Amino acid sequence: MKTDSADIEVSRLSMRFQQTITGDEVVAIRQLDFRIGAGEMVAIVGQTGCGKSTFLNILIGLERPTGGRITIGGREPYAEFDHFRGVLATVFQQDRLLPWRSAMDNVKLPLELLGLAAAEQTLRAASWLERLGLNGFEGAYPHELSGGMRQRVALARAFVVEPKLLLADEAFGHLDEVTAAALRKTFIDLARGQGSTAVLVTHQLEEAIELGGRILVFGRPGHILADIDIANCPPARLATLRGEIQEMLQTNSPSRRPEQN
Amino acid sequence: MDKKTLATSEAAGAVEARMPFRFPREAVLVLLALAVVWQIISFFVPPFVVPGLDRIWKSLVSLRYDFVLVTLARVIAALIISFVLGIAVAVTMYLWPAVERYGRPLVRLLMAVPVVCWILFSVLWFKWVEFRIAFVLIVVCAPVFVVDFLDGMKGVPQELRAMLRSFRPSRMQFFTKLLLPATLPAILTSWKINLSLAIRVVTMAELVGAVSGVGYGLVLAQELFSVADVFAWTVVLVVILFALEALLNRVETRMLRWRT
Repeated sequence: MKTDSADIEVSRLSMRFQQTITGDEVVAIRQLDFRIGAGEMVAIVGQTGCGKSTFLNILIGLERPTGGRITIGGREPYAEFDHFRGVLATVFQQDRLLPWRSAMDNVKLPLELLGLAAAEQTLRAASWLERLGLNGFEGAYPHELSGGMRQRVALARAFVVEPKLLLADEAFGHLDEVTAAALRKTFIDLARGQGSTAVLVTHQLEEAIELGGRILVFGRPGHILADIDIANCPPARLATLRGEIQEMLQTNSPSRRPEQN
Repeated sequence: MDKKTLATSEAAGAVEARMPFRFPREAVLVLLALAVVWQIISFFVPPFVVPGLDRIWKSLVSLRYDFVLVTLARVIAALIISFVLGIAVAVTMYLWPAVERYGRPLVRLLMAVPVVCWILFSVLWFKWVEFRIAFVLIVVCAPVFVVDFLDGMKGVPQELRAMLRSFRPSRMQFFTKLLLPATLPAILTSWKINLSLAIRVVTMAELVGAVSGVGYGLVLAQELFSVADVFAWTVVLVVILFALEALLNRVETRMLRWRT
């Protein structure tokens, strides 16, 4: 592992796009400033179009920001793309499993990219499939699995590299509530167990609260409306916070700003 | 999971991969019906128009089957060269869009030229017969591989590209782990198209100047006014094409079993 720490520094980050058809400039992210400490669990919550996924793509290193700076452990994910091999793993909204690979082979994929020995790959992939309750489904192709099972395979694929930084992009939003809750709990337990920094992007406030760490409320275009630490929040305060965050999301305004970090 | 469980799951995969043979009853019935109708017609028309099955059979057993091997070798060699060339050109076009912008019209031009024109060009341009045949086959088949493989690579969903890129693959890994397997269905379809194309084209190319191969056998039969031989060679060509297509279908079913 090349990066020892997975603390994230976001400084005056901005992202602008040019619309393909009209040529108009669209601001997706405007002056983002915050820090996420190593091992912290953070949920980014916001309405559709608030730049959550754009931010995540910048964090993964898939897109270069048009302004400002973002670093993970002091290094830029886009500029030093290859440095983050095996350091960072993402669970996407859809499972994004490769349909021609079995569950086992899908989990092995990141290990193959890391160049691990075949026996080591099989051992680690099998162990993670077992931890995620997929015993007996190692040889199944994605189309033979339910939505929940496929997302479990996607989780195993992310955890198998034992990343320092775990990202989840609306990873449970498309599942039924029971399955989503179970997978969320699995995700949180495993991330805590590994001591990884975890960033979960969601449009569901309950999902953000369930993560139980810190919530960054994004407004449109991508900026921070509130930065809330719910880890030590008493239940009574949590109930009022729900309403305040809902109001902030609806009005796109930090007018009734809750406790800040 | 222990080794035993792993082995069991792998064994289960192997069993799934084995496909039961299904007797092609309908196809056999149609062919039998055609043979009966053919034989009946042969009773009423002269043998130089529709020879009886007995005459065709006699021709079939006396054909130069080494010609079949020669033709098959030409087809397979040309298809392999076309495939390698096609993949190389498609990858180059994929990596450098400017090459695609200039190259695609050229590929489309090659595809638009009728096969008979290529045969005439090859006769005019090249002296060596084997080179003529190879040239015609490659110039006809390679563009199909180029277009299908290029379109296949470009059609790989953005979501899968982003997923793989998030794991930081090398360029080669991106190609071998995503682009190549994702385009496998398109590649197999190209092989099926090109196989039937090549069998027909090689026969035509062998008609001009070749001294071996099924095409040459057809020329000899025509020169000797042996209609039964012409039909016998036709039967051989159709059987070869069916056999190779069946083989490719088998390969396709096995390689794309994840789709079923």
